[in-house]
Amino acid sequence: MNGMGSIFKKEMTRIFKDKKMIFSVFILPVLIMVGIMGLVGNLATSMVDDIESHIPIVYIQDEPDSFAAFIQDNGLEYDVRLISDQQEREDAEDQILNGEADLMIEFPADFDTAIASYQAGDEVPQIKTYYNPSEDYSSEAYNVISGQALETYRQTLLSQRVGNLDQIAVFNVNSDNEDMIIQDEEKAGGKAVGMMLPYFITILLFAGAMGIGTDMIAGEKERGTMASMLMTPIKRSSIALGKVFSLMSLSGLSSIISIAAMVAFMPLMMKGMTGGSGTSLTLTLNAAQIVMMAVLLLAIAFLYSAIIALISVFAKTTKEASSFVMPVYMLVLVVGLMTMFQTGTPKTNMFFIPIYNSALVLKNILAREATMYQYGITLATTVIVSAVLIGVIVKAFNSEKIMSA
Amino acid sequence: MIEIQNLTKVYKLNKKQMQESKTKNPLKTAVDGLSLTADYGEIYGLLGPNGAGKTTTLRCIATLIKPTKGEIYVSGHEVQKDGEAVRKSIGFLTSDIKLDPHFSVDYMFDFFGRLHTVPPTEMKARKEELFNYFGIRDFAHKPIKELSTGMKQKAAIAVSLVHNPKIVIFDEPTNGLDIVTARSVTDYLKKLRDEGKLVIVSTHIMSEAEKLCDRIGIVIDGQKVAEGTLSNLLAATNTQNLEDAFFEFYKSRKGDE
Repeated sequence: MNGMGSIFKKEMTRIFKDKKMIFSVFILPVLIMVGIMGLVGNLATSMVDDIESHIPIVYIQDEPDSFAAFIQDNGLEYDVRLISDQQEREDAEDQILNGEADLMIEFPADFDTAIASYQAGDEVPQIKTYYNPSEDYSSEAYNVISGQALETYRQTLLSQRVGNLDQIAVFNVNSDNEDMIIQDEEKAGGKAVGMMLPYFITILLFAGAMGIGTDMIAGEKERGTMASMLMTPIKRSSIALGKVFSLMSLSGLSSIISIAAMVAFMPLMMKGMTGGSGTSLTLTLNAAQIVMMAVLLLAIAFLYSAIIALISVFAKTTKEASSFVMPVYMLVLVVGLMTMFQTGTPKTNMFFIPIYNSALVLKNILAREATMYQYGITLATTVIVSAVLIGVIVKAFNSEKIMSA
Repeated sequence: MIEIQNLTKVYKLNKKQMQESKTKNPLKTAVDGLSLTADYGEIYGLLGPNGAGKTTTLRCIATLIKPTKGEIYVSGHEVQKDGEAVRKSIGFLTSDIKLDPHFSVDYMFDFFGRLHTVPPTEMKARKEELFNYFGIRDFAHKPIKELSTGMKQKAAIAVSLVHNPKIVIFDEPTNGLDIVTARSVTDYLKKLRDEGKLVIVSTHIMSEAEKLCDRIGIVIDGQKVAEGTLSNLLAATNTQNLEDAFFEFYKSRKGDE
């Protein structure tokens, strides 16, 4: 036990004495995460702002006077260009195709007359709009003009025809209902965060442990420094455990720092996730959630460290270890993605699958949906699988073929 | 004392290793039925060409690898049954076992001292003595990666002796050292012998074996072909120096084949 403590201490000293190590293990992941999310947020916001502030270029064929008046009266800002012949219409279509114009509205000839002289049984005049969905400006123009402005225009014309619109409205839906959204704000916030948090934890925990773990074991073998420890009277299992536990503490600490940073920078990142529309979603964690998460995180750190240590034991060099770890990292990433887009209540047997279950439960804890049963199974499987892996690691440490190759 | 009884070590070669040594036999016998006894108060030298099995023998004694056949007793403890007790009583040094380059000699000395459960006061005294003897004081706090080859070797020797072992096993201890440092190492080994310790070294340098070793075992192809004091070996071959004696043994051994 004494030996294990010394090994643990040495591995910790190795990281904490080295400024470069502190930076790459604890600070870099946070910088990368916050940087990327912040950048995505800013870009998304400025993109939305740009689209919203763009004045749509609208070609209109056979524009009726009532529509020109409608634009004027409502203070709508369109760059209106009129089409008078077939050649101009073809040019307008080309411009929409190339993204130079945003929308084309085709009125029937004598639209105003047709509206004014309408008799029951006549064909209802049709306005046609043309746009290019691959162009952001054009899509937005279509939404705003075809979807909203033309509807308002219709209401205007309709009220001119029937007088009071309420007569034919029959009923309104939610025209005056501010309280229509019934949701637990905290739960909703947790759900939004829960979608991406397990994914980030997975990446950060694993990536953090990967760099240190491969160096700690395969690196020591490669440098010939492992044998010097094998020459001391301490048990091989103490060396193995000292290394796995230090790896677990370091990666656990690194992930906790990352999560703390993530919660701190949540507003910035949320902005990015929702594309600048602003959101009132907040994340608050209660004591039970924090304890459940902390214990589970520790178990996950334990499992990941065991996996990485096991792979590193069988590798001869750090490089070899890194390439062996890569497929496992990919697997962990895929599992994280799977939980990100998992909907509905997962079946109970899903909670027996290591790695996947911990991501599920993390997500559920944040969404306040985790049951003690799910949590218990997940914690138990994670710890048991880690313990089995550590058993294999200790066995490998006793094998001369593996250790002194 | 060390007692090796009929030690045999067979390695399994992988495909690449088989190609490299141009053989189709996947088994390579590195040590073949070797027996020897070495006692406290002597320097015993294993002398032989590269690949003779010297390092393998030493690694078996140090419990780093397991004998395929035979037994090795170190101070009465069998290496396979009681590896921890064996490791407690020996200090082992070989060029391919290194100190972690990120740490200082000072840290490594304390670290290995703790792993050997050396009491703090004793550790301080050991450090004082060894650091002074090998002139480590000046670079004790520098990371090992910044040290020269000679400094590294001195540091490795000091660290391997932190627990004041009764038995010291050095695999080619002067390899890569300049003449001055090499001399200080061999002098220290003599000092250890004079203190009543058992020193086992392996070497392929004849002059070093001649001057340093009280008894020499000549190993060729994993087998001990001769053993004795320098004068024994010279008398047996009727030669004037160890190099000539070695070649007499070598010829008679290789002539058999």
